[in-house]
Amino acid sequence: MSLTAAPIGALHELTLPNGLRVVYAPMPWLPTVSATLSLPFGSTTDPEGQEGSANVLHEWLQRGAGGLDSRAYTDALLDLGVRRGGGSGREASNLAFGFLESVAAPALDLLAASVREPRLQDGEFEAARDLALQELASLDDAPTQRLFEALQAEFFASAQRRSAYGTEAGLTALTPEGVRQDAARRLGPQGAVLGLAGGGTWESLAGAVVAAFGSWSGGNVPIPPARVAPVGRHHVDADSSQVQIGLAFPSPAPGTDDMYAYLLALEVLSGSMGARLFTEVREKRGLVYSVSAFFRALRGFGYTLGYAGTTAERAGKTLEVFLAELARLAEGVSDAELERARTGLLSSIVMAGEASGATAGRLSNDVVLFGRPRTAAEIAAHIEGVTLSQVNRYLAANPVPQPTVVTLGPAT
Amino acid sequence: MKGLDLRFDEVRLANGLTVIGEHNPQAASTAIGYLVHTGSRDEKAEVAGVSHFLEHMLFKGNESYTPDDINRTFDELGADYNAFTSEERTVYYGAVVAGHALALLDVLTELMRPSLRQADFDMEKKVILEEIAMYQDRPSRRLFEHANERFWNAHPLGNSVLGSSESITALTRDQMLGYFERRYSPGNVILALAGNYDLDAVLDHVGRRAGTWPAFDATRDRPLAAPLRGRERLTDASLKRLHAAFYAPGVAAETTKARYAAGLLASVIGAGDGSRLYWELVDKGLADNASLGHEASEGAGAFVGYLSTAPERAEEVIASYLRVLGEAQDAGVSDAEWRRAQLRTATSLTMRAETPMGRLMSFAATYQTLGEYQSLARMVDEVMTTPLAAGLELLAARPFDDAYVLTLGPDA
Repeated sequence: MSLTAAPIGALHELTLPNGLRVVYAPMPWLPTVSATLSLPFGSTTDPEGQEGSANVLHEWLQRGAGGLDSRAYTDALLDLGVRRGGGSGREASNLAFGFLESVAAPALDLLAASVREPRLQDGEFEAARDLALQELASLDDAPTQRLFEALQAEFFASAQRRSAYGTEAGLTALTPEGVRQDAARRLGPQGAVLGLAGGGTWESLAGAVVAAFGSWSGGNVPIPPARVAPVGRHHVDADSSQVQIGLAFPSPAPGTDDMYAYLLALEVLSGSMGARLFTEVREKRGLVYSVSAFFRALRGFGYTLGYAGTTAERAGKTLEVFLAELARLAEGVSDAELERARTGLLSSIVMAGEASGATAGRLSNDVVLFGRPRTAAEIAAHIEGVTLSQVNRYLAANPVPQPTVVTLGPAT
Repeated sequence: MKGLDLRFDEVRLANGLTVIGEHNPQAASTAIGYLVHTGSRDEKAEVAGVSHFLEHMLFKGNESYTPDDINRTFDELGADYNAFTSEERTVYYGAVVAGHALALLDVLTELMRPSLRQADFDMEKKVILEEIAMYQDRPSRRLFEHANERFWNAHPLGNSVLGSSESITALTRDQMLGYFERRYSPGNVILALAGNYDLDAVLDHVGRRAGTWPAFDATRDRPLAAPLRGRERLTDASLKRLHAAFYAPGVAAETTKARYAAGLLASVIGAGDGSRLYWELVDKGLADNASLGHEASEGAGAFVGYLSTAPERAEEVIASYLRVLGEAQDAGVSDAEWRRAQLRTATSLTMRAETPMGRLMSFAATYQTLGEYQSLARMVDEVMTTPLAAGLELLAARPFDDAYVLTLGPDA
């Protein structure tokens, strides 16, 4: 399949003297720009006993900066028509802005202000913590999200097991002064990445970035390596209609030679409605509405999460078919399956390459995980280059390990 | 987009099928959708959920395509595809890299002539029942299923898209076929394309393959709505949060100017950060979610809002929510607030238009409702020129005095 129609341009890169890495993918036909600022702090590096500090800090950052209180800061964004998003995660948190190219300089300055000179006022702290506590409480009414938190808590032995939501005890123990100290410790430009994609020119965007982020300083806390806990099987009782089934197992780390071969195999397993899991679990047996397996990457560590939701009496059968499909991967995939998987991945690269937000997010993530940004052409070349024998050799030599399984719902 | 020569295509076949397209020669991908003007509002009570179930069944193929063939063909094209059903319409859509546009069109056209085999029907019924069970576990979905039905008060816009497990269990294949034969008339269908495609080749394909679809009358009832007002509650002891739905009379989709004004008004009051509900409830940490939107349907519309909070302070928070709506009615909204809502909406429209798929969803649904094409520039212009006075006029009718509120949570 040809990628010639895809907008694959060269990337521009810059590292500021303070350590912030900046990557820009020009999309000159767009009137819009997306910016994703990846910050190297998350629940993994929360101080002991203060689980949830990163989450509250991420919220607090956005409540006033650079001489503007919370309301004035938000109004300034709205006056520019900026769309704001982002979230706090296990190893990294991010702030994501989308805006028209014509307001790029002031929008980037407001983005920078929230990390360069956040107000971090006491009054805003209580509200930010209250919000975090409420979001944590809302998990109880969201069984699928709750399942994934429980699953990853069982899967990891290292601090990556901590939920990005934090814990009730940890959140309650936080103080404004404590989180301000935490900010001094790990809200710095070292390890941070700004991904930009969209219209404009590199000259003008780079100038705006230097002006906005150049004076940012702050600390950095190294992220400990991820370690996996012994494989186990766990059940969480919940009063729900369906049983949520989650499973997790280690996979090739980002940047390794095996990763692309594995991603193609995973696409065969669960990349589409024609893939093995959907066909075997839903189409042939009608066991579920939703079933999937997907790759997750942390620094130096890759893993796969699996999910199925089904009513209690079908849970056993669903898990059995799911595990059988994981085991069957060791027998290899067919040429036709591989080619469909390859086409699917290449196609998604082209389509993601048309959206500035998806591109900016991928670029900042690439630098975090791979140490450098990948062009769409480079990813495509890797996917094009993987052969059938390579995939099948990998699968034969690396059968899917026994996963950690967590179920949530009525007892089965 | 920027400086591009977009072309609007519009062709009506003799049997009533309408083909529209927004041609963008620079796009790397092509998005294609069949929009069928039928949904849950067109169902009688005894076939509740049939539109959505039928949507699933179209992916089961016909004499030429088995279900596996359908899924495999989409995969071979690397298509990003799906379908959805609402009260108003059923949409089958996909996006591919531009070179595969005709092949995607081919399989989508094939979907539109299903066999509805009994064995597939029986198997898919299980999947639908699992989908219903899944939504039972999502309190906000369950809340809105009830609230929508109650607010619309026997008007067909209150019909459930999913149906109930009872109605789906009782539904027969012949009832579904009857519904298909009454609703899937070519005059009720729009084929929409966005991005890169060859119009002549598309028209040749459609003429040969869809030009023979028999035409028949398929009209929609538009009874007057007499929405319910007041307050009702549902309790579920297993829930940890209080979820509340708010409804108030809005404006119909056909009233272009008023619809834009209603959207902007809802944005000022409750569209995420910086809105009045945000400052009053979310910013203060009283609710983790408090929002208001406007949903314009054919013949009737509604302001629809949601909040999630701690059960013990639910009454106080609901009162605050209603007070925010009341204050807008009593004192209006300001020029600055209106301007910010305009900018926010315009940026969102522009960012969504980055991809052919985003653009398709925007202009095709508008065309189906209004019979009129609106370019991105036109949509942005409509937003930016809708005067504050139009919003104040809506408020002068005091729609929120007629609010309907439904809560779902543990017993107080």
